[in-house]
Amino acid sequence: MTQFFKTAYLLTDGIKYTLIIFFVTIILSMPLGFLLTLARNSKIKVIRYLTATYVWIMRGSPLMLQLFFFLYGLTFIPVINKFLVMDRLTAALVAFVLNYAAYFCGIFRGGLLAVDPGQYEAAKVLGLGKIRTFVKIVMPQMIRVALPAISNECITLVKDTALVTAIGLTELMYFAKTAANNQVSALPYLVAAVFYLLMNLVLERLFAYLEKKYSFTKNTVPAQERPKLFGGRQKV
Amino acid sequence: MSMIVVKNLKKSFGDNNVLDGVSFSVEKGETVAVIGPSGSGKSTMLRCLINLEQAESGTIIIEDAPLLVDGKYVNEKDARLACMKMGMVFQNFNLFPHLTVMGNLTCAPLELRKMTKSEAEKRAKELLKKVGLSEKADDYPSMLSGGQKQRVAIARALMMDPEMLLFDEPTSSLDPQLTAEVLAVMRQLAQDRMTMIVVTHEMGFAREVADKILFMCDREIIGEGTPKDIFENPEDLRIKEFIDSILK
Repeated sequence: MTQFFKTAYLLTDGIKYTLIIFFVTIILSMPLGFLLTLARNSKIKVIRYLTATYVWIMRGSPLMLQLFFFLYGLTFIPVINKFLVMDRLTAALVAFVLNYAAYFCGIFRGGLLAVDPGQYEAAKVLGLGKIRTFVKIVMPQMIRVALPAISNECITLVKDTALVTAIGLTELMYFAKTAANNQVSALPYLVAAVFYLLMNLVLERLFAYLEKKYSFTKNTVPAQERPKLFGGRQKV
Repeated sequence: MSMIVVKNLKKSFGDNNVLDGVSFSVEKGETVAVIGPSGSGKSTMLRCLINLEQAESGTIIIEDAPLLVDGKYVNEKDARLACMKMGMVFQNFNLFPHLTVMGNLTCAPLELRKMTKSEAEKRAKELLKKVGLSEKADDYPSMLSGGQKQRVAIARALMMDPEMLLFDEPTSSLDPQLTAEVLAVMRQLAQDRMTMIVVTHEMGFAREVADKILFMCDREIIGEGTPKDIFENPEDLRIKEFIDSILK
């Protein structure tokens, strides 16, 4: 058991990159994916096609390949290549954000399609303009529908961060591999697995809480019975 | 003074002609029922009045504000102002599922800065009382029955203080018992002299409550008159056939 905690301590350094990649990707790719959704539904045909092509390329090719492309591939472009040299972390972040934005575009688009056209009509006859209708009426419903898929995507992201070890970033998986080689034991892999599982447990609980909160069914429930982020099942 | 004047309204979806020169007017305080067989263009006509569908030609003037003049729409802002004189109630209620009943009622007046929060809530409570749903203010639409949803929708439309209410088959997705509770609210509104245009299949309501009936068939209004004129002495054979088939 002490060995377990020693190893866990060894691996904590790796968690830094895992978390940086996770949070930066989430924070940037969601709004970008949202903009892509709007572009995907644009009235201008060229924008629609360009967005669809972008999504096709980013979803259709391996993230691993994209990591290599942004780190090494860009440097082969003549003339502008000197502006495209990135350090490993930046390249990884660019690849992750652009890749996940494409997925989020698909997810938000699904949510948008699920909103009943009658909602737009009801808002219009009440005098709400297009922007207000979108922000106040459509978006909350869209997010509600998209939540389970967003949750899936976030969990996948936690595990995908392990890919950056391929371009030499020293994240959790890298440390686990090195420790396993040094100790000649599988224990570091087990420890790494526990780390990933813990992070995803937090995410699962967070999304379960959000889904409950946005279920639009109960409001008259007394405060102590409302869903809680952790330990929701305990009686207060 | 006429509340709404419609002249020679024409509309088609592609090659499919749905309105072929519809003209009528509604006076202030009148309840007008629009009846007729399915597919005769009743709902499309109603949706044209509030700019949810665009007609190809004709004229629509709401009180003194034109929406469509000889086939030309006024600019977006004026169109919105003209349409704001009307409220609309849909067959499928179209309540906002993510807002409580109170939220549904106060959302638009607050967003458009028509009222302060306390004014809006006070007015909402009055209207909920009027439609008999005072105790449902904090519920979400998913917790309500169809009849309750439709009564909330009526209250929501009234929040904007419209001069006129349009009803697009308001009871067509309700069972007879729930239909009755919605019709009771509409009957009350008619008694209060709210101007209303009601597209409906509820012949009993049309006959008892409406001041005037428009009978639509084959993309046109083929009969216009008091319920007595239409139900007892229909001029057109198509009206007679329709009424006979319903009363059977």
